Amino acid sequence: MKRELITALSLTATVLVVAYISTLGGGLGPLFSDTRPLAKVFLSTTLDPNKPMFTAMSPEGVTAIVWDYRGLDTLFETAVFYLAIIGAVAVYRDVSEKVVLKGGGVGLSKIVKLVTKLLIPMNIAIAISIALHGHLTPGGGFQAGAAMAVVPMILIVVFSRYFLLEVKISKGLALALRSIGLIGIAFTVFLPIIIALISGVNSYIMQNQVKFGAPFSFPAFFGDSLISGSLILYNLFELLAVTFGFSILFLLLSIEESLVKEQMGGEGSEH
Amino acid sequence: MEVTYLLLALAMLFALIATYLAIVEKHLVKAVVFSAIQSIAFTLALYLLRAPDIVLVYLPITVGIYPAAILFLIKKTEEVEQP
Amino acid sequence: MSTDLDLFLANVSLISLLAIIGISLYGILARPNIIKKIIALTIFTDAANLLAILVGFRRPPSAPPVLLNLQPSPSEIAEFSSTAVDPLPQALVLTAVVIGMAVNMLIIFIALQLYRLYGTLDVRKVRRLRG
Repeated sequence: MKRELITALSLTATVLVVAYISTLGGGLGPLFSDTRPLAKVFLSTTLDPNKPMFTAMSPEGVTAIVWDYRGLDTLFETAVFYLAIIGAVAVYRDVSEKVVLKGGGVGLSKIVKLVTKLLIPMNIAIAISIALHGHLTPGGGFQAGAAMAVVPMILIVVFSRYFLLEVKISKGLALALRSIGLIGIAFTVFLPIIIALISGVNSYIMQNQVKFGAPFSFPAFFGDSLISGSLILYNLFELLAVTFGFSILFLLLSIEESLVKEQMGGEGSEH
Repeated sequence: MEVTYLLLALAMLFALIATYLAIVEKHLVKAVVFSAIQSIAFTLALYLLRAPDIVLVYLPITVGIYPAAILFLIKKTEEVEQP
Repeated sequence: MSTDLDLFLANVSLISLLAIIGISLYGILARPNIIKKIIALTIFTDAANLLAILVGFRRPPSAPPVLLNLQPSPSEIAEFSSTAVDPLPQALVLTAVVIGMAVNMLIIFIALQLYRLYGTLDVRKVRRLRG
């Protein structure tokens, strides 16, 4: 351990020396005082009611790029997410999660359980508020999903896996809710086309606000409050998809290994 | 001198040491803990780089979900790296 | 003088980031244990993401790419676009973190299946076993 610390400190010293030498030679560090022209375009149109053809009607630059300007990127990233989770589920394809309740799981001590009971509702409320305010303040569907995915993990660790089965959160339910999220995203993608076909105007896939030659637009305001058109829908559905995607993985990962081996049986020797 | 750059340099040096210890550590549970420490230093760096969105998504993923998954894996397999 | 010190500190952070990338590449390539390889891989991903964010940074005083006023006037928008950092790398990294985590979970499941079939996570022994 001591030898490793000495090596780490000498590594730090090397970094400092190299940085000093490169500073003498003019430096290579990031000291840009300006951004690229593309960033200027994004920043100046993200919320500008005077330019209705270009704006995304969201004061949050990152969410506007994720779900409006570069929405198709995010759509296919979501497809990669779907395939990665399906691949992980395929590893456990023959394992049913019926767990024999051997006296029920015990979990951690009473104090930890009480504190967790108090903290879990706060965690859920924070995650939902991150999703619902994702188009106004830093946040959005991915962030809320990551914050929410901590909840099943804590429940499994603190209350044991049997607790989740008692409150009827199974793999099938998580898969169904995740599918609802993904179908919701796909529906919001094609909604402009459907409405435009019905009413006889032009529109693009994943269109949010009015574009040139395509007069379709999601409503930017609901009453007095800014909802930024389709961004709030995408954020909510992505919250569902990410949360329950990670929940499936934790439900599978926490199945006891002896049960898995029992159910896979002689299959292992064939490979 | 700009405080942002000072704190950024300190966070990155801290992350460098944590990364080195995580890679050379033989005991895998300790390696996961060092990796989580490196993630915390990176979170501070992201906050200083004016990226609050990334902080919100990075903190639960790399300090919460990912060490838990690796710990599940270690519990089911082996704890010590063979030399 | 103060710019020189700033430049030195920025260089320190950039070069330690490059050193982190080098160390984690060593971990991916040279360590025999698969769990250690996964840990090194996540550190490598994080360092690459941080490098992307660092490219989009601009010298302080700068602000996050979030407009605080919901009814902005044109002068406020001009000031916002002249102080905020680049939002595009942040948007790309945002999805990359979550998707990278899902792909890492897939790798974890495959490592678990490997252990079930071979009884070891050491790549040298797995290579010798030949199925």
